[in-house]
Amino acid sequence: MRIPARGGVLRLAVAAAFAFPLVFLVIVSLHAEGKGLGRGLALPAPPHFENYARAVERMGNFGRLLANTLWITLASVAGQCLCCSLAGYAFARLSFRGRDALFLCVLATMMLPDQVAAVPRFLLFRSLGMVDGYGPLILPTVLGGAPFFIFLFRQYFLSLPPELDEAARIDGAGPWRAYLTVFLPLARPMLVTVAIFTFLATWNDFWAPLVYVLSPEKRTLTLALAGFQRTYDTAVEHLMAAAGIVLFPCVLVGFLAQRFFLRGIATAASKH
Amino acid sequence: MVEEDHLSSWQTLEEMARDFEAEHPGLSVRCLPLGGAAGSQDKGKFLLAGNVPLDLLRIDVTEFSAYLGEGALVDLEPYFAADPAWDERAFFSQVLDAIRGPQDARGEPGHLFGLPSTFTPYVMYVNLDRLAEIGFAGPRPDWTWDEFLALARTATVDDDGDGRPERFGISLTQWLQAVAPWVWQAGGELLDDAGHRSRMAEPAFAGALQFLHDLLHTEQVASFDASFPNQLSQGLFQAGRALFYGPVGYWETYRFRSLDEFAWDVLPLPRDVAAATSVAMTVYVVPRTAREPELACEFLRLLCSLRYQRLLAEIGNGVPGRIEAARSPSFLAPDRPPASERVFLDSMASARFLPPLANWRKIESLCRAELEGILLDPDVDVAAACAEMARKTDDYLARERERNARPRLPRGLLEISVSLSLLTLIGTFLARSARASGRVERRTRRAAWGLLAPWACGFVLFFLGPALVSLFFSFCEWSPLRPLGDARWVGLENFRRLADDPTFRTSLGATLSYAGLSVPLSTAAALALALLLRSGKSGVALFRTIVYVPAILSPVVVAALWRFVLDADQGLLNRSLGWIGLAGPAWLRDPDWVVPGFVLVSLWGLGSQVLVFVAALQTLDPSLDEAARIDGAGTVRRFWHVTLPGLGPVLLFNLITGAIQAFQVFAQPYGMTEGGPGDSSRFLVLYLFETAFHHLDMGYASAQAWVLFVLLALLCLSLLRAARRRVHYAGRTP
Repeated sequence: MRIPARGGVLRLAVAAAFAFPLVFLVIVSLHAEGKGLGRGLALPAPPHFENYARAVERMGNFGRLLANTLWITLASVAGQCLCCSLAGYAFARLSFRGRDALFLCVLATMMLPDQVAAVPRFLLFRSLGMVDGYGPLILPTVLGGAPFFIFLFRQYFLSLPPELDEAARIDGAGPWRAYLTVFLPLARPMLVTVAIFTFLATWNDFWAPLVYVLSPEKRTLTLALAGFQRTYDTAVEHLMAAAGIVLFPCVLVGFLAQRFFLRGIATAASKH
Repeated sequence: MVEEDHLSSWQTLEEMARDFEAEHPGLSVRCLPLGGAAGSQDKGKFLLAGNVPLDLLRIDVTEFSAYLGEGALVDLEPYFAADPAWDERAFFSQVLDAIRGPQDARGEPGHLFGLPSTFTPYVMYVNLDRLAEIGFAGPRPDWTWDEFLALARTATVDDDGDGRPERFGISLTQWLQAVAPWVWQAGGELLDDAGHRSRMAEPAFAGALQFLHDLLHTEQVASFDASFPNQLSQGLFQAGRALFYGPVGYWETYRFRSLDEFAWDVLPLPRDVAAATSVAMTVYVVPRTAREPELACEFLRLLCSLRYQRLLAEIGNGVPGRIEAARSPSFLAPDRPPASERVFLDSMASARFLPPLANWRKIESLCRAELEGILLDPDVDVAAACAEMARKTDDYLARERERNARPRLPRGLLEISVSLSLLTLIGTFLARSARASGRVERRTRRAAWGLLAPWACGFVLFFLGPALVSLFFSFCEWSPLRPLGDARWVGLENFRRLADDPTFRTSLGATLSYAGLSVPLSTAAALALALLLRSGKSGVALFRTIVYVPAILSPVVVAALWRFVLDADQGLLNRSLGWIGLAGPAWLRDPDWVVPGFVLVSLWGLGSQVLVFVAALQTLDPSLDEAARIDGAGTVRRFWHVTLPGLGPVLLFNLITGAIQAFQVFAQPYGMTEGGPGDSSRFLVLYLFETAFHHLDMGYASAQAWVLFVLLALLCLSLLRAARRRVHYAGRTP
């Protein structure tokens, strides 16, 4: 199919519609306290950039929040890439009894509402003494919590030619060595894709930190952001500024990563 | 040690903690922020449910009885009695009465289970400039409903002559605590004195609600903008378009400080057969999990000391519970509006709390559909709706009384049965899959198990195990605030309740219509966008990114943003529609439009589906399309016969993941409407969450969760099934 020439205008309109709410966010965040809503879409003169400083200040120790969030995010990304690629590889390239039953379990976790498992899981972490640490934030996602990524890796490994196993076997490599030397290096586009997905999911996670993070010095950015909502002394303008700060890295990652997504998803989605 | 969610009082709290530490060398006081968002009240419960040793907790008074009823609070009376300096007359007596346990057999007042932080009676806010404009100096202090109605009528103006007023007499608040004063003023009651039966079916109750209904629909002097979740957005009062705003509490003075367009003040509520108002309050309590109840009690006394209470008053946190602080210049004469702080103190003469022995958070959500129906639906039968509220409340109160009569679960039964079933499941699986013959096969199996070990551990520990526990809970009645040993066996009753729970039916309906709209729409739109944005040119990549970005924002941000986009009067969407001459619906306030509103939010976030389609389009073999073109097939035919079949597997993938996401939609309604108006956006997962943590009914929540899970699994299976016949996998086999 060829896109007709008026595609350009259409594209522009679509992009404008999608960008509109975010532009609105920026504009509201630049108004004086209490003045952001109900004044149309004009930029205030002068723009109140100090809202951003104020938002950072009210979130608490911003450097600390950022460091915490980054640490949780990076640990999750590393763990996720490793565990999911291991499982995806086993599901795709090894044949053993019970494989399909196990893979069904992977898919079933996708359908289990998280809120169902929340309390029993909380009781578990409590009995392990892990509440108010990052364990509960990282472990469930990294171990077993990412059926979608296992699925992606499986699809990707399925798309590689069967001759690869053959060659590895002739070289005398077992499944582990084949994974490390042949398949993992080949999976680079998928690793980047999963890393980015995980980055975004962890960065944006709100429930796990809300439930498990107790000490102020362990709080994350989304928690601090949520702290802005529903408190009666919060100005909408500061809320929007804070939201802008928290979502900025996501936008950045979105820009950088879009190309990788395409390559990563292409292989995975094109076959079952 | 203490929970606090008001940002500016945080510093003051920290100061008091340091003072307390100075008095008690070797002691360290840690203050934990609650997170502030809607989740803050739920977090307190999570902490207690997790046996986290909190010594002091700040809760809303409407939740007091829930905590008390679950045995989660420490009786403070013995600690106070031991202190000669303690004098409860220092506090407002109604305020203390709201946080007492039940009376004993001899009719002695109940024991104190907490102390007030700040409170506020509900009052009426008034736009003074508008009042002068319509030629009134101000109502008498003892004004009546009739006088109120007369003023409201005068102030209601249809400026552009379209038959709908632009300026209103009152922006009427719509939650239970705000509706209760009208009921009491009319001589009605919510519950009987013992708290065993509702009195909502009585004429006085229905009469008060009829009055409010008429204000909104017959008289049309009241506007709809002041529902509870809507509070943060800019209401009509702030926009200068309502003469009155209320009944509402002191907290609004905080928001209105930056109002410089007009002068405003507060008034006592008008009266009918009686003067009455209700009270909102936060209280400090000592949870059962406290390690140092005595020290906690001492710190609590410090927090309720004159000094701290005056500090709170100066910040503008509310009316201090300590009378002397409330009468001090810190509260009465701060350097800011309103001029008549006295009104808050004077209103206390006729102030009442919601009857303290019931779980009001639960009752309010039970009755919410009817209550909001009365207020929002022009054709509602008010008396019938009130009777329905009464019936639901009575059912609930009866079930509460029955609960304690049920048999307790034997100790350890839960642990043993869950671990046994886990072991059986794993054992069966291992036994069946271990029947391997050859050496090579065994080697592969060992390697596979090694490779899958991290996932398998997580699956068993964090998914299968908890899922089994919740399956077990679905046959029990258990509150997460109680010890596990307190669970009671109820058999199939939770599932029976589901079958005739109208809220669950509404919730299921809302979820189905949301999924039914959002999944096909967003899949189709994503496909269209993907066709538009498929080319690899760098300019197009930029557009693609713009479409993609909304999909990766935190749901917290999305919810915060879209509340203001979909706001009925001031929102971005309706204003934009206004520019092209369309009148947008009230979205989040209109039961018929709230689900479409959430569908719009989901459409905004369809970027990742677009990318999946673009990726698939780029892998399609261009020669097929080329061949069809040479054969003379038009754009549409090539799409139907070449492009679409090639996308089959991806389409299926997007449909399934889309359906899963749609069925589990939670963060957006939680942050934007809290399920309202009525129950119209109480999607399944939201209802499930509320059942577990607001109503503290873990068994019922688990039953809902399992129903949801089975529904979703069936849906996905049937999608896969239907696809097996239609989807064509370009000659590959897995």
